[in-house]
Amino acid sequence: MVGLSLGEKHFIQGGIDQNLRSDGRKRDTYRPISVETGVIPQANGSARIRIGATEVIASVKAELGRPNALQPDKGKVSIFVDCSPVAEPMFEGRGGEELSTELSVALQRCLLGGKSGAGAGIDLSSLIVAEGKICWDLYIDGLVISSDGNLLDALGAAIKAALSNTGIPRVQVAAGASGDEQPEVDISDEEFMQFDTSGVPVIVTLTKVGRHYIVDATSEEESQMSSALSVSINRKGHICGLSKRGSAGLDPSVISDMISVARHISEQLINKLDSEISAAEADEDEM
Amino acid sequence: MASKGGAAPSTYTHAPTNKTRRPPFFPDSDVDWLRSDGRGFHQCRPAFFRTGAVNSAAGSAYAESGKTKVIVSVFGPKESKKAMMYSDTGRLNCNVSYTTFATTVRGHGSENKEFSTMLHKALEGAIVLESFPKTTVDVFALVLESGGSDLPVVISCASLALADAGITMYDLVAGASVSCLGRNLIIDPISEEESFQDGSLMITCMPCHYEVTQLTITGKWSTANLNEAMQLCLDACSKLAKIMRSCLKEAASASKD
Repeated sequence: MVGLSLGEKHFIQGGIDQNLRSDGRKRDTYRPISVETGVIPQANGSARIRIGATEVIASVKAELGRPNALQPDKGKVSIFVDCSPVAEPMFEGRGGEELSTELSVALQRCLLGGKSGAGAGIDLSSLIVAEGKICWDLYIDGLVISSDGNLLDALGAAIKAALSNTGIPRVQVAAGASGDEQPEVDISDEEFMQFDTSGVPVIVTLTKVGRHYIVDATSEEESQMSSALSVSINRKGHICGLSKRGSAGLDPSVISDMISVARHISEQLINKLDSEISAAEADEDEM
Repeated sequence: MASKGGAAPSTYTHAPTNKTRRPPFFPDSDVDWLRSDGRGFHQCRPAFFRTGAVNSAAGSAYAESGKTKVIVSVFGPKESKKAMMYSDTGRLNCNVSYTTFATTVRGHGSENKEFSTMLHKALEGAIVLESFPKTTVDVFALVLESGGSDLPVVISCASLALADAGITMYDLVAGASVSCLGRNLIIDPISEEESFQDGSLMITCMPCHYEVTQLTITGKWSTANLNEAMQLCLDACSKLAKIMRSCLKEAASASKD
């Protein structure tokens, strides 16, 4: 929780009205983003993202499992977020649980698409090894290390970076297994498949303070918000998910307006993230 | 609840399970398929509301929309727990649970863990929290039978229960959802349609204020589809609110007599 005096509150709100925020940014500017990939050696893919003072880690682990009986041609992906008390004392015990579930649900909504799999950032059918028998289960874990607002955008970016860093071992399925038998598999130690992350959307959160909305709010600014819209948008400009936070209601025309602003901002963010991710991967290769 | 008479036996009928494996839709074609309950694409299920479902609660409501049946009771305002900090506005505590027999597969309803927070977020903007400082209002929702579009029904029913409990609100909150199946948008989807959907959109709004309190979208949407779906939902919400309002008026005039 951020405790602010009346003067500080006015300062933040006034700055946003004047398009000059307390850290010198404009309403539509992000804080500097830094990406580091391959930070967790025991995971199949991982990344650390820093946006200003917000810092998150995402890791991707792949395990072989059985596909769901209702969807025999698809793998499974699950997303969990953990808010560590390292970031804030109020996350201790069950204190972070509500925020953790809120973030996990929002990320699932944004990245996994509809029930039929349409609009999913992760192509579930690419995770299948033997139809109806073996598939990859992806476990995506997000960890909040330091929290200074805009957690959802940071986690979305970290997952995108971690997925592009993910290598899934090539699997040879032994021929000859018939009927209901579970076939034997041979997991390669050397050959890895890269993941296609071009369809993974980015999340842009627009926080409404007063009459204006801002991107990449710090926790001080978030404490002054009336409502916020998190829109996930892929490279083609399609909306893949949306969730609203904050108590105040929004006029439907404002929502349409915010969505089109978010779409415009997402183009810049995707380009920026992609160049950061490829730079981070080049750094990793050098080491 | 006794008043709904003829509708009662349908509560415990099981949907035949073989239906779920058969894809009943042709999402990629423009062929006009029919919805399994014979509705048009932009036609909602008949809605039924009744207040005063639970005697011991400060306010309660029962809602039925097709096969979806929901009961919500509201307790309070009562003193906040000792551990909670002082607050000059009231607190809202929401909980949504499913009966174990609500879904065709027993106990499947517990998958929807986020519904409680969603209900909270949808309602808090409509309630005048300043009117009951230092106290808490509990909203408990129970889904008796899940027939699709559960959350919008729960939210509409909860706002009716709050009104029945005499909690001051800016407006009633009505909810509606739209599913995207191929090129078609269908409003108020049933469970079967929800399991094949490419995307879904849910809006809860205060129709008199024309303000959206909660909005969630999943799946892939183009701008044109999105705007059409939002408009469909908003229209449905304002129609629903009229039914809710008349239900409240009925209850008020009945208690006068």
